[in-house]
Order: sequence, then C-alpha cells, then structure tokens
Amino acid sequence: MKTNRLKMACAILAMSIAILFAQSASAQPASKGKIAVVISTLNNPWFVVLGDTAKARAIELGYDATIFDSQNDTAKEAASFENIIASGYKAILFNPTDANGSVANVQRAKAAGIPVFCIDREINSTNAATSQMLSDSYSGCVKLGQYFVKTVGKEGEYAELLGIVGDNNTWNRSKGFHSVVDRYSGLKMVAQQSGNFDRSKGLEVMESILQAHPNIKAVFCGNDAMAMGAYQALVSASKDKQVKVFGFDGADDVVKMIAEGKIAATGMQFPKVMARKSAEFADEYLKGKRDFPQKVPVPVELVTQENVAKYGDYGKK
Amino acid sequence: MRIVRWLIAIAIIAAVCWLFPLFHVVRLKAERAAAAFNATDFAETFWTNKLLPSIDKAVNAGTLVADIQSDPATAKKKYSRGVGLSDSYFYFVTGTGRVMAVSEDAISLAITDKATNAEVALQAGLIFGDAIRDGTGMLDASAYPNSQDFNDISAALNHIVETRVLPELRERARIGTTISFTGCAEVDDESSDLKPLKIVPIQTKSP
Repeated sequence: MKTNRLKMACAILAMSIAILFAQSASAQPASKGKIAVVISTLNNPWFVVLGDTAKARAIELGYDATIFDSQNDTAKEAASFENIIASGYKAILFNPTDANGSVANVQRAKAAGIPVFCIDREINSTNAATSQMLSDSYSGCVKLGQYFVKTVGKEGEYAELLGIVGDNNTWNRSKGFHSVVDRYSGLKMVAQQSGNFDRSKGLEVMESILQAHPNIKAVFCGNDAMAMGAYQALVSASKDKQVKVFGFDGADDVVKMIAEGKIAATGMQFPKVMARKSAEFADEYLKGKRDFPQKVPVPVELVTQENVAKYGDYGKK
Repeated sequence: MRIVRWLIAIAIIAAVCWLFPLFHVVRLKAERAAAAFNATDFAETFWTNKLLPSIDKAVNAGTLVADIQSDPATAKKKYSRGVGLSDSYFYFVTGTGRVMAVSEDAISLAITDKATNAEVALQAGLIFGDAIRDGTGMLDASAYPNSQDFNDISAALNHIVETRVLPELRERARIGTTISFTGCAEVDDESSDLKPLKIVPIQTKSP
C-alpha cells in the first residue's frame, strides 16, 4: 500500500515537472545567448532609438539583449565591458564614447573572444572591432554646408557648436561643413564652441555666443540635441527669426521643427538601419561568418523644408 | 665615516641611474606629428601613380549615356559601384563630346551626334563631395583607422581637380569645340544627376 502511494506521488511529481518544462518551452524558445548593447549616452533620444532598435533586433534574432549606458564616460564604459566579459555575453553592439579611449575596451573584449560591432561612432583602430557601421558624417555635412550657403547666402557672420571634442564624428561633421563654407570668404565664423552634443549645454553656449555676437545670421550645430538647445536660446533672445539653425542627426523632434519652419535643415543618419544591421552582423558572426568589411559607411541624407515630408521616425517614411 | 659611506652609496646609485635611466621622457607631440597622415602627399601620389594610369578602366561615355537613356537601372547594374549601405553610386567614365554651353559651374557636352540637349556636364566650379575618392573603387575606408584621414583625401583630391584640371578645361571650353575627358560621377539623386550626367573631371584633352 505504502509502495503504491509512493509510486503514485512520484508519477504525479514527474508529470508536474514535465508539464512545467513543456509550458516554459512552448512559451519562449531557447535563447541563443546574450548580446550586450553599449551606448555612449541615453541622455539623448537619438541614442535611445539606436540602443532600443539594436536590442529589439537582437531579441528578434533569438538572443537575450541588455543595454548598458556609458553616460559619455570612458570609465563607466570600461566598467560595463568588464561586466560584459565576466558575464558570458556572446557579442557586443557598441556605440563608443571616445574614438581613442574606447579602443582598449574593444581590444579586451576581442582578447576574451567576444566580437564587437561598432555602431555610428568609430574607434581609431582597424584591427580591434569585427566591423564598424558608421554614418558618413563628413559627406552629410558637405551637403549640409552646400545648403547652408544656398540659404544663408555667401556673406555674414555665423557660429558653430561642436560636439564632444574626442569624438571623430565631431570633427568629420565640422570638417565636412567647413570644406564647403570656408570657400566663401564673405562667410565669417565668429564663434566655435563645444556643446558636448548635449541640449542643455547647447542652450548655455548659444546664450553666451548671442551676447558676444548679436548679429549672427546662422548657427551650425554638430547634432540635433544642440540644435534644439540653440533654438531655445534664440527664442528666449527673440532672435529665432534672424538666426537660421542647422542640426545633424535626423532626430524626430527636429524633423518636426523643420516642417514647422523653426529649424532650417538637418542630416538624416538612419540610426534604425545602422542598429538593425549591426545586430544582424553579430548574428551572422555567431553563425560562423568571419569576412566582414571593417568599415561600412551609411549614407546621410539632407532634410530641408523642401523635402521634409519624406522623413520621420528616424528614417525615410 | 658613516656619512662618507652614504655619500658613496648615493654616488653609485646616481651613476647607475644616469647610465640606465628608469624612464625616458618622450615628446608626445613630436611623435604624433611624425605619425600624422598627410592627405596632400597621399593624394598627390595616388593621383600620379594610380588614378591617371587607371583611365583605361573607365566606361565609355557614349555607351553609358545610351544605356542611361534607355534604362538607368540596367546602366547602374552594369557600370556603377556603390559604397557601404548607400543608395548613391558612382561611375568612372571616359569619352569625347562637343561643347554645347559654358557656365561658371559646368561645361555642357553632347556625346552623341544627334544630341540637342547636353548629355554630360563637366563640373567646372568649386568641387565638393567624394566622386574622385570613391568613384574608381581604388580607395577603401576600411584601410584608414581614423576616417578623418580618409575624408581629408577627398578634399585633397578635389583641390587637385580645382587647381590642375579645371584651369585647362576652361581654356579649352569653347562652344562647338570637341573635348576628350575622363572623370567620376556621383549619383545621389537620379532625377537631377543623370540627365545630364554630372562628371568631376580628372583629365581633359583636345582630341
């Protein structure tokens, strides 16, 4: 009798365990492993879109994905990499904080056998990351510079808000813009200051520029967050009709402001395209592919009041 | 006596450190300057040793223009090259044309005998963009750790076009005369860049 009861209890227990496992298996397919998405800062909606899209695509491809925020700090970025390496992640989708300062982190991951795929921003090395998916900032700003001359004219004073000084994108954008605008001797840059790619800093820097140079006709900003900050400063100083604002990124808010006639133009960088493709590269790598191009340029398109209807939601409609 | 011993010991340590210094002071700026990429020198060498000798690899302008007129998609497939994920593409093209119009920014040419509109526009004003750098496929962004260097190449090549190629082109360009040319075209927008095909010249001659 006792033996029968024991047998029955064991059978019930075994069935319960089998049902539990069957349910969890049918509810969620087994993960292929973990992918880390390391983003330079989540204090900017453009990078939030970049990170969220990379994470979502990695999940679609069957991985668990986690976002790490470097808060524009290479020390925090290094700590995230150590955590990622120690926690058994299979690949890293990486938006670096500093073109030089981030190289060591990528090399550490590579030494640990973890492939790194850079998104949007590059590192100054061609043998650390598996591949780098990079916005063609220079060419985008050449187009923006040409449009700047067309709309502002060939004479007048203007200011420039630079991004993070250690980031190559800052200089690629600035150099692309100046490769055009500097050819017109009548256009004079009266101020060039870093707004750190940050909206609040952009506002603050623009306020001080306006005090020193009240007659500027335009401001070129190295990203859209600073462009929004600059526009806010112009509104406060009642100079938003006098000064044309040019941004770069293709942030949704700025695209809307272009449609409303508040901002003159921006460069659309397609963060969703870059993020998705990087996750797909990581998947291909984990399936065995090894021959990736080191640098994959992603085009930047000029968004103006004439063609703004074609753009939105961080890409082309 | 003790003091003398100490002095001897310090002298020996000082001598060892002098002969075998524990660290060297290196001027970082000088090292960086030595390693700095010189885009102007690079562009000059590339222009002479690679670009000009590769002219025979360019597609014939007559063939390309005819194919673009009949089916731009097929022409793109057959003769163009793209870069990365870009929808823009490039043609490396050579040919001969009759000058139809001359302006500050462009020399307009007819390639086919019966053409009444310009089929090619040789760019003759300020040169911007990456047509020369990316148009032939001989330079690859992956070879440059810092993309600023790669972008500087574009500006340096455009400078060579402006200072060396365009002055000769402007001298030759008289309405009705014939000009032979080789150059690169960047097509960003097919509605405006194909008819006429906008070409940045790297060489022009009077046939």
